[in-house]
Amino acid sequence: MRASNESFLKVSVMNMCQSTKVAQLKRFTLSAANAFLLFSACAFSALSSAAEIPPDPFESVMWKQMVERFFPGEKVVFDSRVIVSAPKSAENQFDVPITVDATALDNVEEIVAVADLNPIPHILSVRPIKALSFVGFRVKLQQGTPIHVGARTADGVWHIGGAYIDAAGGGCTAPAMAHGQNDWMSTLGKTRALTRRESELTARMTLRMRHPMDTGLAAGIPAFFMNKITVSNEAGEAVAELDLYEPVSENPTLTIKPKVGQAAETLQVSARDNEGNEFGFPLVVPGVTAQ
Amino acid sequence: MSSCGKPGHTSRRAFLQTLSAGCAYCAMAPAYAKLLDYKLAASEIAKGTWAVHGANEYFNFDNGGNIVNVAFIEVPDGVVVVDTGPSKRYGEALLALIERTIPGKRVLRVYNTHHHPDHCFGNQVFDRELIAAPQGVIDNLSLEGEGFAENLYRLVGDWMRGTALAIPGIALEASSEEIGGRRFSLYYLSGHTSSDFVVRDDETGVLFTGDLAFMFRTPTTPHADIATWQASISSLDSTDRELIFPGHGPKDVKGESLLQTADYLSWLDGNLRLSVERGLTMNEAMALPIPARFNALSVLRTEYERSVVHLYPQLEDSIWQEVEVTR
Repeated sequence: MRASNESFLKVSVMNMCQSTKVAQLKRFTLSAANAFLLFSACAFSALSSAAEIPPDPFESVMWKQMVERFFPGEKVVFDSRVIVSAPKSAENQFDVPITVDATALDNVEEIVAVADLNPIPHILSVRPIKALSFVGFRVKLQQGTPIHVGARTADGVWHIGGAYIDAAGGGCTAPAMAHGQNDWMSTLGKTRALTRRESELTARMTLRMRHPMDTGLAAGIPAFFMNKITVSNEAGEAVAELDLYEPVSENPTLTIKPKVGQAAETLQVSARDNEGNEFGFPLVVPGVTAQ
Repeated sequence: MSSCGKPGHTSRRAFLQTLSAGCAYCAMAPAYAKLLDYKLAASEIAKGTWAVHGANEYFNFDNGGNIVNVAFIEVPDGVVVVDTGPSKRYGEALLALIERTIPGKRVLRVYNTHHHPDHCFGNQVFDRELIAAPQGVIDNLSLEGEGFAENLYRLVGDWMRGTALAIPGIALEASSEEIGGRRFSLYYLSGHTSSDFVVRDDETGVLFTGDLAFMFRTPTTPHADIATWQASISSLDSTDRELIFPGHGPKDVKGESLLQTADYLSWLDGNLRLSVERGLTMNEAMALPIPARFNALSVLRTEYERSVVHLYPQLEDSIWQEVEVTR
């Protein structure tokens, strides 16, 4: 928490500097704390609820809206412990890899990833219930955009990391490759996966499920996408819940790190798309001695 | 131009001055356009064979896409050109360079080694009926050329002005042809793309490999099939020649470009296979160390990261097990 508080303070000082004129008029009537709130509000010409939005190091014009829509709550801080790995430039705007590692933070309840300048910004939300706060995914980008990822800890604070990705554009409005194949409906949900033990208490699960992930923005093709994946353990407890949205790449390719015991364990994956198609399959994590 | 800051406080006279300053700036625009000059230079790498080397870089606003090797050859009755560069502007500069170097001789043949935009977007300054390539190169260019052009405008900007796709007018099939009194051997290979065309000047023994060979420059893989590429390199290695002129980098007397390219591709393939077997995400694979012996290859980290995106999906499909899904 210390590092994040420091960056929060630095941010508040910057805001006050930008608003010195206002400060001169008002300062004498206000305590320092109240002044901060007011000056921030002036700087962002915003509602009082947005008073604590820190400036965005990625300088996104949509940052305030992203916070209001996707990172609501009491406090938002940029935090270097939310590591967002992404290429500087999208080699393929239909399939841009992003890996989020927030494992240096304790008690992460939810990870939310957004592409600010996508026509549909929300990429996914992950609740790593019995998993490390780590997720790998791939995304379609409509243009070069800042990416923001918030990790919400149990105290309600959003810890934000991000990246800027340059892109040629058009990733969200082109038809999926699947529509070039006559038999795409029959391959829906077909899955390839790899499950490995990474340590005595963690596994790595990576999978790709066939699905067009239509955004609804390509002419004549309605939105049709996988929107829910749940991984549960043998006791029936949820290990991780993933809400996927339209920008996730065709044939979603996802990596998570479930927490496991030392014995071999079968994890159950259940997935559902927005038309109610359901898919399920087991994945086996080998025991400690088996590797 | 700082006087533009406060028009509300300036007198009418000052305002007019500002306007005329604006006009002077407009008048400078053509001069600025002239600054976009590729400054092409030819170096003779074999008798009557001139190389035009680009920067060993990725596309950017400074190099204007001139990151490629182009060559032209004086044959008894004219000139043969191998690849045409990234833009119309480059094509024009190339024609001027040819005219300066070999005055009074006509271009009789233009070869396109493959369909990548840095190699064939100068095509439009040549007569289409002189431009020749295998049918595979023509098909690839027809399919992807427009998209390449759009992307190049984004990557290098104004250098591309006026550039449009020009498809070769001649589809080659023969194993050799005579142009202007010189015989050229023609090789139909693949691996860097689905159609890679190699030309040998039978008189000088210069082998123009296109991008099947890179020298001191990291190989690029957007359309690569590594196994096929390696087979093509083996076949080039056993081809009679005096000199290799690679698609990127300096001329190669000893065949080092083939070794460098084969070594890098072999490491790349093995490294990515191992990464996929470990279940690493693309981003994790991109962050892996690259062996020091490849440090001599320019654009190394950038091209490696691009290759992860190009090659990973296919490896994942071949290495990850299919699971039984219940619906």
